[in-house]
Amino acid sequence: MMSSVTMTAILCRGALLLLLWWILTEGSRDGWLMGIVAVGCALWLSLRLVTPGSVRFSLTGLAAFIGFFIGNSVRGGVQVALIALQGRRALQPGTLEVQLHLSSPAPRILMAGTLGLMPGTVSVRLDGRWLRLHVIDERMPIAAEVRALESRIARMFRERI
Amino acid sequence: MIELVSTILLCVGGFFYFAGTLGLLRFPDVYSRLHALAKADNLGLGCILLGLAIQEESLAAALKLVLVWPLALSASATVSYAIARRADALGIKPWRREDR
Amino acid sequence: MTGLEFPLALFLLTNLVVALLAAVRGPTAADRMLMALLFGSTGVGILVLLAYAGGGSDLVDVALVLALLAAVTGIAFARRAWHAGDKSDD
Repeated sequence: MMSSVTMTAILCRGALLLLLWWILTEGSRDGWLMGIVAVGCALWLSLRLVTPGSVRFSLTGLAAFIGFFIGNSVRGGVQVALIALQGRRALQPGTLEVQLHLSSPAPRILMAGTLGLMPGTVSVRLDGRWLRLHVIDERMPIAAEVRALESRIARMFRERI
Repeated sequence: MIELVSTILLCVGGFFYFAGTLGLLRFPDVYSRLHALAKADNLGLGCILLGLAIQEESLAAALKLVLVWPLALSASATVSYAIARRADALGIKPWRREDR
Repeated sequence: MTGLEFPLALFLLTNLVVALLAAVRGPTAADRMLMALLFGSTGVGILVLLAYAGGGSDLVDVALVLALLAAVTGIAFARRAWHAGDKSDD
């Protein structure tokens, strides 16, 4: 007997995979049989790899994260472009160690990766809770930016920090 | 109107790619070059994808263009972290200003 | 189609070549590794532009696959090839 958690997971993931297939085929209906097979295989694989109910994830948290991410990656890109135009004299690099409050590994890895695209930071080493960052300009308020990102990620994974 | 917005987005995208390459040439060490490449090039790609997507008549094809962005972003994020970590493990020291 | 796609693709290609030349004389293996990043983002950009400059929408599929491969190859490269090569040539 299938639990309701599994049922919901199958429906949600199946719908997402169908949407993905529709996008990848640019809305054409010719390959629908192939699509059903592909979506079925992907669904089976996703259920094997990520057991339903094992990951707590918030969709509104995801939307908030995406908005935050886009805004900050634009800011980061503009900032680094301006520094590149001014050349070496605009640089004041340094390193910074921060302690993460996120408790599970997946959000921490997401955090380390995302910081590489945020203004002023590149992750250098993630060691348990400790994250070493390379900072392009030490005068920027990096610690506050790191905390802002961390709280968005925590919300997305329904973690309390 | 759409044509104009699209042209602007494509030009802005081209500018960010240019800035990324400029940073690669001008910055002193591998870490700061990572900043330039990862951030500027990805923003450039985002602008170009958006500029092309708004011209597209079919919704599915436009979404497909937009879908390229998160894929390229995750590639850049993982690769730049991998490069920085290897550089650190090999003992490459970050460049620092001396006139402070 | 704004007519801008093809010139822009050429511009990105120029960027890629310049960066490649810089990397060849780059001081450390780390600088050469940056090419993995560059090929990911610039390569994908060139491909989607060419798709809309008359190359056909198949090129968007190529761009998608290239973006995926960039992630996988980059990590594999960083973990193996670079580590092994660094002792000899730096």
